[in-house]
Amino acid sequence: MATQDSEWIFVDTVDALDEEDFMRFDHGGETYILYKVKGEMFATDGLCTHEAQHLEDGVLIGHIIECPLHQGRFDIRSGKCAGGPVCEHLNTYRVKIEGDKLFIEL
Amino acid sequence: MSPSSLPQAKILPATTAASSNVSLERQLVRNLAQRSDRPALLWLASWLTALAVSGYLLYLTTATSSTLLFLAAALLLGSILTVPSYAISHECAHGTAFRTRWLNETCLWIGSLLYFEEPYHRRYSHTRHHTYTWHVGKDSQMPFDTPMTLKGWLLEISGIALVIYETKVFARNALGKFSPQTRGFTPENTLGKLKWGARACILIYATLIILLVRGETWVWTYLLLPRLLGGPVMLLFTLLQHVELKENSPSILESTRSFTTSAIGRWLYMNMNNHIEHHLYPQVPFYALDKLRQAVENQVPPPDKGFWRTNLEVLSVVVRRSLGMGTKARGLRQAAHMVVSAAEAKKGKTSPFAHKTTL
Ligand code: FES
Repeated sequence: MATQDSEWIFVDTVDALDEEDFMRFDHGGETYILYKVKGEMFATDGLCTHEAQHLEDGVLIGHIIECPLHQGRFDIRSGKCAGGPVCEHLNTYRVKIEGDKLFIEL
Repeated sequence: MSPSSLPQAKILPATTAASSNVSLERQLVRNLAQRSDRPALLWLASWLTALAVSGYLLYLTTATSSTLLFLAAALLLGSILTVPSYAISHECAHGTAFRTRWLNETCLWIGSLLYFEEPYHRRYSHTRHHTYTWHVGKDSQMPFDTPMTLKGWLLEISGIALVIYETKVFARNALGKFSPQTRGFTPENTLGKLKWGARACILIYATLIILLVRGETWVWTYLLLPRLLGGPVMLLFTLLQHVELKENSPSILESTRSFTTSAIGRWLYMNMNNHIEHHLYPQVPFYALDKLRQAVENQVPPPDKGFWRTNLEVLSVVVRRSLGMGTKARGLRQAAHMVVSAAEAKKGKTSPFAHKTTL
């Protein structure tokens, strides 16, 4: 989660994400995923905590992101493990929309 | 920063489509990987119906004096019991069979108990099989020596190798004495699950044995005997996945085999004859594998032809290898180092073992 030193980073315009969609965003040597589910935006780390596969190739099932390699699952609202071989949670990040711009707090 | 610059370096290399130079549009893969309960529920209903019908046939044969008919019916029930139990256990270890989680987990337990592997061990050891498919010393599911010999084939297809290996795993895990291999693929804080899972399975198997000893013959007639007879059929399916193919390759196309089979074979095996496709994109559920096969068709080798034909070719190769003869198969896809020509064999050339199991 964000700390006192965190800042809002511009990601893209809001129309980059459709409903029930997700996208990769790389910044500062790290990688993240932004999601849009039921009109709400979420963001998590981009790499699975099990064996560091990128979740951009995964499957979004409601609020669950499933890893493409071994199907470990995380709840994108909390980052908590939600099944499969994973047992370490994902970090989550705040997302905001200003005008037609999408920002992530890092 | 470009999407594939610095963070790419942090991604663990695994044997997948990317390492095999296969690519599909991301949106297409996402569409193929969509989940639904319906196909697996329909498959489950068909499986239960087939079990009931074949179980009834077996019951009818108990009223006759024909041992042959009885054994044939037990083999039929056993094949319908065992091949799908492997297949559903595998699909649910991935968590791709059902959209609903508890359905996956319930079927993982039932399938794994019938298949004879503790469910959590099944899930974790299988993760390593996908990360390092057919990599000696890294893949935790390389059950036989490669290149395969007749002795290895007999140990594998009879089910002896499976029973010995899994019995050891059950015992070790139940005692909390995990092997280095198990510790390698299981997160430390999950080992307890494997321990209690193994204990629960042993309790269930012990209960069945006690019932049998107390004269409940149905345990033998409708469960143990069919499971024993169906084991080789299941293992003939699983054998084809990687046998005679290349070890230690980053490419799934070199390490893994798809094969054609009948509608019954595809149903029994939940379409896992599309094995290359499954390893390329393990997130795609069994009911979308045919569509995935069509999508990658021009990027992968053609499937080997037929379940029986491919198995006969494998058997022919392993017999010839054990007799010191040439090992080139006619239609079977083989890694180059598996093949010794008849002339080379005459001069005493053999393929050295790339992988030795420790039974
Ligand atoms: S790498 Fe994500 S579940 Fe294994």
